[in-house]
Order: sequence, then C-alpha cells, then structure tokens
Amino acid sequence: MLNRKLIATCGALALTFGLAACGGDDGGSATEGTLEGASITVGSKDFDEQLILGNISKLALENAGADVTDEINTGGTDVTRAALTSGEIDTYWEYNGTAWISFFKETEPIADRIEQYEVVAERDLEENDLHWLQPAEFNNTYALAFPSEAAEELGNPETLSDLADLIAEDPDAATLCVESEFSARDDGLPGMEETYGYQFPKDNVTVLDTAIVYSAADKQDPCNFGEVFTSDGRVSALDLTVLEDDQGFFPLYNPSPVFTDTVYSEYGEELDAIFDPISAALTQEEMTALNERVSVDLELPEDVAEDWMSENGFI
Amino acid sequence: MAALETATSADVAATSRVAAPSHRPTPLEWWGMPVFLLVVGTATYLWISSQDLDSIEARVLSRDVLVERTIEHIQLTLVSTVIVLLIAIPLGIVLSRRWARPAVPVVLGIANIGQGVPSIGLLAVIFVAFGSLGFTPVVIGLVAYSTLPILRNTLVGLQQVDPSLIKASRGMGMSPLGVLRRVELPLAVPVMFAGLRTALVINVGTATLATFFGAGGLGYVIFSGIGLNRDTILVVGVVLVSGLALLVSYLAGMAGRLLAPRGL
Repeated sequence: MLNRKLIATCGALALTFGLAACGGDDGGSATEGTLEGASITVGSKDFDEQLILGNISKLALENAGADVTDEINTGGTDVTRAALTSGEIDTYWEYNGTAWISFFKETEPIADRIEQYEVVAERDLEENDLHWLQPAEFNNTYALAFPSEAAEELGNPETLSDLADLIAEDPDAATLCVESEFSARDDGLPGMEETYGYQFPKDNVTVLDTAIVYSAADKQDPCNFGEVFTSDGRVSALDLTVLEDDQGFFPLYNPSPVFTDTVYSEYGEELDAIFDPISAALTQEEMTALNERVSVDLELPEDVAEDWMSENGFI
Repeated sequence: MAALETATSADVAATSRVAAPSHRPTPLEWWGMPVFLLVVGTATYLWISSQDLDSIEARVLSRDVLVERTIEHIQLTLVSTVIVLLIAIPLGIVLSRRWARPAVPVVLGIANIGQGVPSIGLLAVIFVAFGSLGFTPVVIGLVAYSTLPILRNTLVGLQQVDPSLIKASRGMGMSPLGVLRRVELPLAVPVMFAGLRTALVINVGTATLATFFGAGGLGYVIFSGIGLNRDTILVVGVVLVSGLALLVSYLAGMAGRLLAPRGL
C-alpha cells in the first residue's frame, strides 16, 4: 500500500514538474546507464496502444543503456504471449484482465485493480516464471458508448443500469454494435446482461469488425450504442459518451510490463526503478491522449512515445 | 475470341467435366458427396459432443447460434447468386451477339476488376462508398465479386455452339430469338452451370467476411474461434463453411446434368 502511494506521488510529481522526481534525482539520469551490457528484445501486440507502449519500453531501456532489439508489433495477444513464454521476446505490456480471463481461463474477474494485478503476477511467476512489474494507472477495459449529440433521443443514459429503462420503453432504439469476441466472452456482453438484469433485443445486436464499431456508433447506423475500449483515442475524437459501469462488472485491464526470468533475475531492481515511475505516469487521461494522436491524428507510435517520454523527463 | 482467351484452364476443365458425361449419373456420383458430408458432419458433431466445452465455447456453439449463422450465410449466398444470374446471363447473351463484339473486352475488363480486388478490400470499399452496413452492401460486394464466372461462361458457352447448327436452324426458318432459345442456350447450359458452380463456391467463401460488416454468417464462428483462441469453435466454423461450399457445388452440378439436353 505504501509502495503504491509512493509511486502515485512520484507520478504526480513527475507530471507536475516534468521530471521523474523519485529519489530526488533527475529522472533521466537516475536510471541512465543502469542496464549497460544488457541485451533485451521488446515486443508488443498489434494495435495502436500497444505500439506506443512497446516504443515507451524500447526508449526507456535504451536510455538505461541496454542493447534493445525491436520486435514491436509482434502479433495478436496469443502470438505475443507465445513469443514471451518461449523467450523469443523478453518483454511486452500485458493487461492483468487478459491474463486472468484468456491465459488462466478464469471466468470471474476481480474488481480491485491492485488485487487483480497481484493475483495475476503471483500466478504467472509461479507457473511461467514471468515477472509482472507495477501496473499502469490507466485501465483499458470494455465499455458501451453512444454519440453525445444523441443523448436526448436515447433518454440521457449515464450508467449501464440506465439502459434497462431504454430497453423496456423504447426497445427499437436499444441497438448495439459489438465485435465477435465481446459477444461471446464471459466478461463481455453475456455477463454484462446477466449482471444488469436486462437483455438487448436479439435482432438489435450487430456483430462488426472492431474498427467499424466506432464509426457505426458515431453515425448511429446500424446502432446507437457501440462496444468501445476505454482508453481508445476515438472515444473522445468522435465525441462518444461512455456509460458508467455502475455495478463494476467489466474486469480491469491495467497493463504491466512483463519480463522473462532471464532478464528480470539479473536486472530486476533496475527495471523496477525504470518502469514504476513510467507506469504511474500513464494515467487514463495521458494514455487516451497518446492513443488519439496515433489512432486519430495518424502520427507514428514511435514519435508519440518519444515526445511523451521526453516531456515527462524519462529520457 | 477475346472471351475464350480469358477463360482459365480451370473453367475449361470444369466445362469438359460437366459437358462430357452423356449417361445418367452413377450411384457413386449421386451419393458420394452427400454421404461424405454426412460422415464429416457426424464426426464433427461427435467430437464436439465428447469435448468438455467451457462457457465461451458452449455459447458460440449453441444450436441457436449455429442455425442462425448458417441461415444468414445461405441467404447471403443465394440472394447474391440469384442477382448475379439476373445480371450476368442477359449480359452474356447480349455480348455473344455478333454486333456486340467490340464491347466484350470492355465488359469483361470491368468484371475482372471486381474479381481482381481482394475480397475484403472490395467489401470495405463498398462499405465506404455506401456509408452503411449490413445485408445489402455485403450482397452488392458478393455480386461484384462473382459476376465474372457466370458472365464469362455464358459468353463462352454461347460462342462454342457450332455456327453450322445456327445456320441450319436459320435455314429451317427459325427466328433469331427462336434459335437462341431452342438451339444456342440449351447447348450452352453445361458451360453456364460450370460458371454457376464457380460463382456459388466463391460466394460461400467470400460471405465469411460478412461478419466484419454486420451481415452475420458463418464467418462469425470462424473469427470468434480465432479471436478467442478456441480450436473447437474454429473447427466447427470451418467444417460448416466448407461443407456448405461442397454442398452447393454438388447441387449445382447435379442440376446442370439434369437440365442439360439429352444426347449431348
């Protein structure tokens, strides 16, 4: 608990002064050169947020003097995870919720961010010799969103519970676009409907490609509500309103840098010192803004990562 | 002759395969495919039944989901194929007339563009151009994608009719329309059915992409299986789609034989 507060304070200070203030040193120089001689391969999954996170890792490790091999954009979740467990890559950012549901095949998520992280970290260390560093502040979970300008016609819903009224009174307006994964997962639509005690009319749920869900919801064609990711830059860019998960159903998806034992057993302390302040500084607001620059403004993930790292004094 | 040049060897092979047999189908030809599909279907069913399905697998592999997705898939395939027939056969007939010859390379060129573009790209372009999602734009995409084989085979089928037969029919006093209806088209039927088979198989395959554009279909099962890392789901999706493709191909082949003129 103390540790977490410390990190949070460091993060806040880092943001305020544009320095990583931990230990009172200048953030950049504090960890500079600590990984001299280390050779680390960095991977990432294949979507925008992951490309940014991968580049953040790469820059942080290079800044500390490590010899970094760039395997960013390794593939989908399964491919990237397999690359890590086989030692093909040494690190990538994984979400605690994904590990819990997909890797450990659990069906009941844990509501507390730190608890969820600790269970996953402990289990992955025990079973797979993988080391989870402190999780980032931001949470990239599922949510339902609708275009803000349509609020009135949809009865001004604010929470997922509010949708019960809409479904009861105006079922034709209760249209929802989802991607196939969300329609089948326990931590997706089926579980959400069960928790909230309502069901979207069956013919009103349209399965679409992930990328198209955003524009479909924005245009209200063919659906008023879309399944979105909370840290996705398009949520704010398209002016979508996210419904609050008032019953706390959706699992937490805070990412942590995950390292193989080969690297962590040798450089564990140094890696903690490098990444903990970075994770603390990656708040919901910061990550969403970074994602927006890549997904909406089409900037390169490596440029966005570099700007952010130097602005925050990490390099 | 331009049309014949564009016919691929696969079409020619399909042509001779369908056109050659003059006898009635043997029992093996009648029953081989249905029995094969039944065996594969039953084997898959038994394998899935023996598996301990988790909640995600049970959800996607429920009877309701599979029946609904299969019906959607059949609807997409049938509607698009019927539209293709309505467009491509009249167009093929018109293009086979002597006076339309200069237009042949142009029309085939356009039809070739439809098939040359990768299918998911074509659907995406139509989605952008249309600005909406669902059944209609996907059907338009399927139509654009499968027009070529039927158009080309109609054209080739009509062009390969022996000109002396047409001359003889005209000499007997038949009108040009009568010659088309009673001589040319019946003789072109086997080749045209080969085109229909190709179009059906293309449509069954391409319709798996409909799930990305809100039109459902069995692609949902396949891509859920990949996305959720569940092999059971993936295998069921693949078996259903390939079974459907083999089934429609078989049905069209049999129909082509029954409709072909006797003694050919």
